[in-house]
Amino acid sequence: MNPAVHMDGITKRFPGVVANDDVDLAVERGSVHALLGENGAGKTTLMNVLYGLYEPTEGTVFLDGEPQSFDSPRDAIDAGVGMIHQHFMLVDPMTVWENVVLGNEPKTWGGLRVDEDAAREAVVDLSERYGFDVDPDARIEDVSVGVQQRVEILKALYRGADVLILDEPTAVLTPQEVEDLYDVFEELTDQGKTIIFISHKLGEALSAADEITVLRDGVNVGTVATDGVTREELAEMMVGREVLMDPATTPQEPGDRVLEVTDVRAEDDRGVEAVSGVSFEVRAGEVFGIAGVDGNGQSQLVEAITGMREATDGSVTYLGEPMAGASRREHIDRGMAFIPEDRQERGLVMSYDLTENGILGSQHDPPFASGGRLDWRASREHAESVIEQYDVRPPNADAEAESLSGGNQQKFIVGREFERDPDLVVAMHPTRGVDIGSTEFLHDRLLELRAEGKAVLLVSSKLDEVQGLSDRLAVIHEGEFTGVVDPATVTEEEIGLLMAGETLDDDSVEGAAVHDAATDPAGDAETDDDAGGEEVDA
Amino acid sequence: MRNPLADVTIPILDDLIESDYVRSLIVGTVGVLGALLVFGALFPDSVAGDLSGIVFSSSTAASTSRLAAPIVLAGLGGIFAEKSGVINIGLEGLLIISAFASVYVASVVGIGNAVLGIPAIWVGFLAGVAASTALAGVFGVVCIEFKADQIIAGLAVWLIALGLAPFMSTVFFGGVNTPNLGARVSWRYSAVMVVVATFASWWALNRTAFGKHLRAAGENPKALDTVGVSVSKVRHAGVLLSGVLSGVGGSALALSIGQFVGSGETMVQGKGFIAIVAYLFGNYNPVGTLGAGVLFAGLDAVQIRLQQLGYAVPDTLVQTIPYVVVIVVLALVGRTRLPEAAGEHYETED
Repeated sequence: MNPAVHMDGITKRFPGVVANDDVDLAVERGSVHALLGENGAGKTTLMNVLYGLYEPTEGTVFLDGEPQSFDSPRDAIDAGVGMIHQHFMLVDPMTVWENVVLGNEPKTWGGLRVDEDAAREAVVDLSERYGFDVDPDARIEDVSVGVQQRVEILKALYRGADVLILDEPTAVLTPQEVEDLYDVFEELTDQGKTIIFISHKLGEALSAADEITVLRDGVNVGTVATDGVTREELAEMMVGREVLMDPATTPQEPGDRVLEVTDVRAEDDRGVEAVSGVSFEVRAGEVFGIAGVDGNGQSQLVEAITGMREATDGSVTYLGEPMAGASRREHIDRGMAFIPEDRQERGLVMSYDLTENGILGSQHDPPFASGGRLDWRASREHAESVIEQYDVRPPNADAEAESLSGGNQQKFIVGREFERDPDLVVAMHPTRGVDIGSTEFLHDRLLELRAEGKAVLLVSSKLDEVQGLSDRLAVIHEGEFTGVVDPATVTEEEIGLLMAGETLDDDSVEGAAVHDAATDPAGDAETDDDAGGEEVDA
Repeated sequence: MRNPLADVTIPILDDLIESDYVRSLIVGTVGVLGALLVFGALFPDSVAGDLSGIVFSSSTAASTSRLAAPIVLAGLGGIFAEKSGVINIGLEGLLIISAFASVYVASVVGIGNAVLGIPAIWVGFLAGVAASTALAGVFGVVCIEFKADQIIAGLAVWLIALGLAPFMSTVFFGGVNTPNLGARVSWRYSAVMVVVATFASWWALNRTAFGKHLRAAGENPKALDTVGVSVSKVRHAGVLLSGVLSGVGGSALALSIGQFVGSGETMVQGKGFIAIVAYLFGNYNPVGTLGAGVLFAGLDAVQIRLQQLGYAVPDTLVQTIPYVVVIVVLALVGRTRLPEAAGEHYETED
C-alpha cells in the first residue's frame, strides 16, 4: 500500500538559503509522525511545501501514491491536507461554528443565507465523532486555548482533511491540555487520519508519535521508530553532536546572602492574593530553583522581588538593603538582572532593532549614555557582542526584534541580562521555546555565573531544568512553598506531590526553610480541596 | 451596574439587535420622544408643547427624512468598509461628489427628457451613485493594493471632492451653486431607500456568507486567507459598497432639493462625518445606525425650526444642540469596539 504522504527529494531554495535539501519523508496512513529539529532546521518550510504555501524547487509530493502539484493551500485543502498553524487562524468574536465553516459556508435561499442549522449540525457531528467536547455556539474569545486548537482541527476535518499537519501544537497548551491533545491524536488516527506534527521537544515526539523524522540544517538526518530510540540518540541526531542532557553541577560552598525574602505576600492584577507568605534566601554562588505548575504565584513573587509589583506584606532585602519602594530602575542599577517570562511583552520592544533592545535597562548608563545623548556606536558594539557570544540568528544588529524566532529572541534577552554583570539573576523560564542545543548553552552560561559567585533565582515549569541546575529547590503551590528540597536526592514523585500541594515528612526536606503547613489548619484545608484532581501516589 | 434600558424587550425588531448597547439606545430615544409627546399633550403652552409641536409635525418629518438619508446611507456604507478592515473617513467626499454628479447629469440630460425610458432626474441619481462608487474604487485601490494610509487617503477623498465639485460647477454653470433643476425627488423615496437599505444591509452583514467573510477580513484577515478566500476581494467589495450607499445618500440629498450648493462646506455640511459618528454610535449595527442617523437628522430639523420660534437664545447656540447630544449620549452609553484589524494592511504570504 502506498504511504498516505510521500515527499520525494524535496529541495526548497530561497535566495541565498537552502531551506530543504533533498528531503524524503514517508508517512503511513493512520500513524502519527513527528518532524523533529532545532529552530531553523527546515521543518516548517517542508510542511509549507506539503500545504501548498511554497512550491518546491525540486522534488514531488505524493498523496496515496498520486503525484500532486499545489499552487496554493486551496489545492492542498482540496486534496485532503489540513494545517493547524502555531498561531491559530481564528476570528475571535465569531462563534465556533462560524469559524469552522468560514469560507465553505453551507447556503440556502439561493446563496442569500448561510444555513446555520446545517453548519451547526456539521460541527456537532464532527465533534461527536472524534470525541471533542466543543460548544458550537461559544465565541472563540471565550474558550480556552485547548478548545481553540480543537476548533482548528475541526476546521481542517470539515474541509475533508485526511492528513493533518500541526505546527508546534503543544507550545501554547497546559500539561493537561497536552494530554488531551494526545488523546485527540489517538482518536483521529483510529479513524484513519494521518498526523504530522512539528516539534523541537524530544519528550513530546517520543510520547505522541509512532515515527520520528529528524531534520538538521534542511537535511533529513533519519527516520526512526519511537520504540527503538533514546532521548540521547535523538538529541544527538538533532544537534549533530553529543548533548549533555543533564548539566554537570560541581559542588560549591555558597557565599554571602544576596537576596533575602521574608514573609512576602502579593496580589495578582485582580486583587486576589497570589503569594501567601513566602520566605527564602539566595546566596552568592548558588542557584535557588522554584518549581511549580504555572500560575501558582510564581509570576507575582518574581514581580515583587524585581520591583514590578508592590508586595502587600513582608520584605525583600537585597545585598543587605531593604528594597521596599525601590523603583524598577534602582533594581537594575543595583545589579539585579531579570529574564521575564513573557519575552515579547516585557523582554523586548518588538519594533526596535537589536541595537536598541540591547541597551534597554542600561540606557541611562555609560557607555551608552553620554551627556544626554545615546552613543549608538557603543550600543551597536554591545548588541553585536551579545549576538556573537550568544549565537543569535540572524547575526544582524539592525534586525527588528519581531523578525527573530522566539528562541533567538530569548537568547538575546538572556545575553543582554547576563552581560550586565549582575549580582543576582532572576530568571523566569529562561529556556522556554529555545531549542535543545541553545538550551544546553544557556544552562552552561547559568552555571558559569554561579561559578563566578553570582546568585541565581531560577523559576521554571520544566522539572528537569530546575532539578538539574538548582542547589536548593523550592516547590510552590497556591502561593506557598510546600517544601524546599535537595534536588540531588529528591525523586520526581516527591516533587509531584509537593506541586500538587502535599507536604513531605521525609528527611530530604530542609525543615527550617519549609513553610509549616501542618500548623496552619486553614491553609491545609484549602490545599486539600484544591489539589483533589492532581494528587500523586507516593 | 447594569443598564436598566438594556432589559426592555422591543417587539418585532428584537431579533435584529445583538447588543445591549443598541437596545438601550433605541429604548432611550423612544422613551424621550414618548415623554415629549405626553408632556406636549398635557401642557400645550409650555416649552414641551412647542417642542412636541415641532417634533411631531409632518414638515419636521419630511425635513428629518431628507437630512437623514445621507447620514444613514453613508453610515451603512461606512459599516461595510470598516467591517472589512478599511476605515473610510472619505464618506463626506463621496456624498459631495455624488450630490454634484447627480445634479450635473440630470441637467445635462434635461428635465423632461429620458434616457432608455428613465427620466432625467433618475438618470442623474444613477450617475451620482456611479461617481461615488468610482471614487470609492480609487480609494480602495490606493488603500488595498498600494497600501496607502487609510486615514490620509480618506482625507484626500474628502478634499478632492470638496475642491472638485464646486470647481466643476463653476466651469459648467458659472458658479459654485448649480441652478435649480426645477424638479426634485420626493422625501418619501428617500425614506423608503433608507429603510430598505438598512434592512438589506443588516441581512447582508448578519445572514450571508459575504457578511461573515467581511467580518473575518476585518477581525483576522489571515484566518480568511488560509481558508482560501481573497482578503483583497472582500475588502474591495466592502469599500465599493460604501461608495454605492454613499452615492445613494448624496444623490438623494441633492435631488430632494433639485440643486447642488457648493459654497463653504457644500450642502453636505459634514454629514459624512456625522455618518461615521452614527455608525460608531450604532455599534456597527445597521438598525442602530438608522436610529442614530434619524436622531441626529431629527435634532438638526428641530433646531432649524427652533431658530424660527424666537426664543431668547442665540441661534448659534441652538445650532449646537445635535452635537451636544452626540457627546452626552456617547458619554452615557459607553463605547464601541473597532474591528481588530481595521486600518491595517494585509499581505498574503506566498
